[in-house]
Amino acid sequence: MLEKMKELIVNYVEIDADTITEDSDFIEDLGFNSYDFMSLLGDLENEYEITVDESEVIEVHTVGQAIEYIKKLQG
Amino acid sequence: MNKDSIKNLQQLVKAAADEYGDKIFLKERQGKDISEKSFDSFYEDVRRVSAFIMSKRDNGQPVHAAVIGPTSYNWLISYFGTVSCGSTAVPLDAQLPCDEICDLLCRADVSVFFYDKKYEKMIPAIKEQCPDIKEYVSFADMASLLEANKPAELPEIAPETLAAIVYTSGTTGKSKGVMLLHSNLIDNAMCMDGESSTADVIMTVLPIHHIYCFTCDVLCSIRYGAELCVNDSMMHIPQNLKLFAPTIMLLVPMIAETLYKQIKAGAAANPGLTEAQIANSVFGGRLKTIFSGGAYLRPELQKAYIDMGIQMNQGYGMTECSPRISTADPTDKSCSGDVGVIVNGCQVKIEDGEILAKSPSVMAGYYKDEAATAEALTSDGWLRTGDLGYVDEKNRIFITGRKKNLIILSNGENVSPEELENKFAGKEFISELLIYGDDGVITAEIFPSAEYCKDMSKEDIEKLFKDTVKEINKTVTSAKQIHRLRIRDCEFDKTTSKKIRRNQPVQGRQI
Repeated sequence: MLEKMKELIVNYVEIDADTITEDSDFIEDLGFNSYDFMSLLGDLENEYEITVDESEVIEVHTVGQAIEYIKKLQG
Repeated sequence: MNKDSIKNLQQLVKAAADEYGDKIFLKERQGKDISEKSFDSFYEDVRRVSAFIMSKRDNGQPVHAAVIGPTSYNWLISYFGTVSCGSTAVPLDAQLPCDEICDLLCRADVSVFFYDKKYEKMIPAIKEQCPDIKEYVSFADMASLLEANKPAELPEIAPETLAAIVYTSGTTGKSKGVMLLHSNLIDNAMCMDGESSTADVIMTVLPIHHIYCFTCDVLCSIRYGAELCVNDSMMHIPQNLKLFAPTIMLLVPMIAETLYKQIKAGAAANPGLTEAQIANSVFGGRLKTIFSGGAYLRPELQKAYIDMGIQMNQGYGMTECSPRISTADPTDKSCSGDVGVIVNGCQVKIEDGEILAKSPSVMAGYYKDEAATAEALTSDGWLRTGDLGYVDEKNRIFITGRKKNLIILSNGENVSPEELENKFAGKEFISELLIYGDDGVITAEIFPSAEYCKDMSKEDIEKLFKDTVKEINKTVTSAKQIHRLRIRDCEFDKTTSKKIRRNQPVQGRQI
């Protein structure tokens, strides 16, 4: 899932995909703005056929947390 | 639509039903389906909600009904149902903390509360803190409310009736309740002509409790008979652009920036295609106009959109003026950094550098706050915008800063931080920036772009910023020199509309 995430992330920021880790913080490490992040969540909904709850993603700051959140939604 | 015959919001909705009838007014996603409502059914449902509101009046007195939730058909019929029978709507920002919402509900004397089901978790706290609220209506129960109430015979409404109390989300101080009359909102919706038509599709993405979105998306689509398509979430803008294929959009610069980044990335990945071709595909193929407002728009970004064949217009206003003071001249492609030409019926003058506006769109005052009203409105009805700027010979407004943010130097000279901040716009190694006076010294505090600076040493980063400031200092007078620089490790604290709060403690490390 990390590889897929990297693929989607580089559509928003000019960054070498190899430098992205599960610890990367979307805003502080990857340089996302808040709308980039919302837009990425939309991509993840499409990719994994999940429905993201905007109020729950307030807790999601890092790539790893996003992966955990998707897994939780997938059950 | 004969705009001269329309004096209040009730008449606007009725005129739209008479003129546009069964044409689609609104489209919104409901799961995988799209729900459609016509102008006729909108007017009918508005009158059903009016019947409900009229039944809740105490001795025939108007009620104050709060509406909270993202843009939806139910939000709109709650709002228009309230105002169409002479009561007052109080649209609230759903992203505020629960305690603040309770405070605003009490301050606005709300007795009816319409809410999106998403926010039902707040209800127990609101019931405890706001005992004056007698009626709670979840949008989930709206269908039964509509069924239980026959469309009302609507009463006549004087144009000077209070339509809405809109709380401002300022970057400083406590929010104030802007009292907007029917005549204010109608004047602003009608002040220009030809901005839209029945052939247009407007995709609404900004928060509906903001007057900019309400007047320019909602009131204008009702006036012109345009189709209003609701973007259900910031997460779904790309999908919804393809789904609804809008012709007009109202955006804030941050969204326009991100969409442009995606277009650039698309063009880089597809060397055979131009940015204009990628933009056409990203925006669904029909977009011709973007109205930008709410924050500073870089002229370079505006030009990039115009070069892609999308007219990007910038306007200016504030909640207190319903909101438009100036709007773009669509024939002006000069990207000269102005915020548009002064709208019809509005007078603008400059006093001590500050922009003052006077028009039928100017608010009646702040709700139960005479002191703040006296500060904002002069005795002869001019609205002090708090913005600094000037008007050129083409009647275009240029903004140079906010009066309250002015840095007063020890020599008595005033410096606008925004003017300096704008000089850093487009520098990709800066994520966020604030300019302020620190003991009379102009200081730049920067949150660097982690992505840009990731392979740089601390010394290189410091040198980059010092050199940048040195270059900018060459372009300004000696009084405006930035003499102190701080670098932060974390983002600035922001308002719910994502504006940096100016009155926050200094955190950055001085270099």
